[in-house]
Amino acid sequence: MSFLLRRLSFYFTAFLIAISFNFMLPRMMPGDPIDALFAAAQGKMDPAQMDAVREMYGFVDGNVFEQYLSYMQSVFTLDLGPSVLMFPIDVTTVVGMSLPWTMFLALGSLIVALILGVTIGTYSSYRREGFFGQFVPPFLAFISNFPYIVTALLLFYFFGLQLELLPLAYTYDPAIDPGFTLEFIGSVAKHAVLPMGSMILVGIATWVFNMRNAMINVLGEDYVTMAEAKGLSSYRVMYRYAGRNAILPVATAIAMAIGFSFAGSIMTEVVFNYQGLGNILLKGIMARDYPLIQAILLILVSAVLTANFVADLLYVWLDPRISK
Amino acid sequence: MKEALLEINNLCVDYVSANGVARAVNNVSLTIAPGETLGIAGESGCGKSTLAFAITRLHKAPALISEGEIIYNGRDVLKMSDKELRDFRWNDVSIVFQSAMNSLNPVITIGEQLTDVIVAHKRISFKQAAVKAKELLGIVGIHGDRLKSFPHQLSGGMRQRVVIAIALALEPKLIIMDEPTTALDVVVEREILNELYDLKEKFGFSILFISHDLSLMGEIADRIGVMYAGNLIEIGDAKTVFSKPSHPYTKGLIASFPTIHGPKERLYGIPGDPVNLLRLPSGCNFQDRCADCMDICKKDDPLLIELNVDYHAACHKL
Ligand SMILES: Nc1ncnc2c1ncn2[C@@H]1O[C@H](COP(=O)(O)OP(=O)(O)OP(=O)(O)O)[C@@H](O)[C@H]1O
Ligand SMILES: [Mg+2]
Repeated sequence: MSFLLRRLSFYFTAFLIAISFNFMLPRMMPGDPIDALFAAAQGKMDPAQMDAVREMYGFVDGNVFEQYLSYMQSVFTLDLGPSVLMFPIDVTTVVGMSLPWTMFLALGSLIVALILGVTIGTYSSYRREGFFGQFVPPFLAFISNFPYIVTALLLFYFFGLQLELLPLAYTYDPAIDPGFTLEFIGSVAKHAVLPMGSMILVGIATWVFNMRNAMINVLGEDYVTMAEAKGLSSYRVMYRYAGRNAILPVATAIAMAIGFSFAGSIMTEVVFNYQGLGNILLKGIMARDYPLIQAILLILVSAVLTANFVADLLYVWLDPRISK
Repeated sequence: MKEALLEINNLCVDYVSANGVARAVNNVSLTIAPGETLGIAGESGCGKSTLAFAITRLHKAPALISEGEIIYNGRDVLKMSDKELRDFRWNDVSIVFQSAMNSLNPVITIGEQLTDVIVAHKRISFKQAAVKAKELLGIVGIHGDRLKSFPHQLSGGMRQRVVIAIALALEPKLIIMDEPTTALDVVVEREILNELYDLKEKFGFSILFISHDLSLMGEIADRIGVMYAGNLIEIGDAKTVFSKPSHPYTKGLIASFPTIHGPKERLYGIPGDPVNLLRLPSGCNFQDRCADCMDICKKDDPLLIELNVDYHAACHKL
């Protein structure tokens, strides 16, 4: 338990620091950002809403500490005010609509790349001499060495524009009603193939090589030789005895990869016009929608920290030697 | 002599590297009878572990068995298919590794590491195997509740016992023990060896006992083989090897070990360093360190000659 408590308090501190930055940033900008906001809104906001936004940012009467408290209160109650871009919808609502898609994209591609990469890495290290071990990892390394944008645009061009096999925009076909229907799920899956596929293609090699290196270390261990001496099937020796241990160093890399995956998803969403946070963030920046930008940064920070904590839970679950 | 359980004929194991071929086991022939304990002694690097691994074909690249036969109960181990080999391993021959501490997987429970080998070889469920596993732990003096423990939750001695329990799981006819107790303190070592001997009485398996501790070996082995630079240079009944060794290397080894009961004597080491397997001299490998080196020793390899019934040594002086 002590390990998880320590991690939890670490993430909470990180979160507090992140949102405190959010509090300080507008204060460091030249001029009053709220006035800039008002100008940017081009008269769409009435003065009462302006006051609400001021309050949300802690630009209230009183000293800095009181302002900070007021700001904290609006953060923790998710009272983040209206979006300029999509006025008068609350930024919480806007973010709430697009966050699930980004989570789906970032975490989905990470999990698939992880599972595929670990499986391929395990297999190719155990059969290092064979065709698979000799050719598959270098081939994946070759693919992942393209800059992401090149891979994404190539996929976009071939599968979307040339072959017209897969859709080029949106998270699902707007003609279909969202719901728990086969049609809707099929449409979501079809729309996810290119964005997710491009992220997987780029991400997979890391896991293959992480896992392969970890496996090569573990394969020299006596407990692997003993498992072989026991006459266990090579499948069991490979995955249960060697793979199970080799995955530990790989699992520590997951936490870091989560952040990268969210960052990568922003680029992906822009290329494939996928309606996630990244897409909205880009539009928000272009429209100078400060409340929206801030809310997205806040939510990204929380999502990454939460995902990191889940990665820690995974690690504790994987390694019995860590005190629970 | 009884029909041999294991017969090794002219076995050679090479390590192939860019610097050349190191022959870690050279032309070794030996037999182990049912129920017998054969000890293999020799200094570090003489090829004891390599020999042990080769018996169940556990040697990994760059090691290579280049010559010889390994006959177990009339079957040639080197000609077995993968499936036959898997069946043979642990069912017939189990191994307690040199670093038994590291031979348990740290993230798998003791219980699973005990039961999986039973399930892999016998047609029984994990549940039935767990009953058997509990029983096995009991035999080596560990409470059955420990099945759920991970290796790091046990002491070194307990882990060693667990490894022995795993080695006994399928009641093999031969257990290879590669320095099974070197990592333990003397008291625990003694305890475990005593238990091992009770178990041997009960189950009747043979043991190939590898150690560089000659005094320990003198107590437990029926016969002793001594290796030097990959060669078996002397092999015979334990008493004679101890009291009247024939090969100068064996003499040196025995003189360099203190006896607990005998009078205080000066200990003699063997002068010189172990030979480099990549640059072996022509003739006897021991020539540079031998006080009685003759001209022929620098020309011809000494062959194992029978000095007595079941007693062999390889030295030109004999
Ligand atoms: N992977 C390897 N590559 C090359 N040479 C090796 C390799 N493993 C072992 N050797 C060599 O083979 C020889 C025999 O090694 P082995 O492990 O069998 O010795 P040992 O008698 O068991 O020694 P110890 O008492 O230290 O366990 C040594 O000289 C060693 O240098
Ligand atoms: Mg050894």
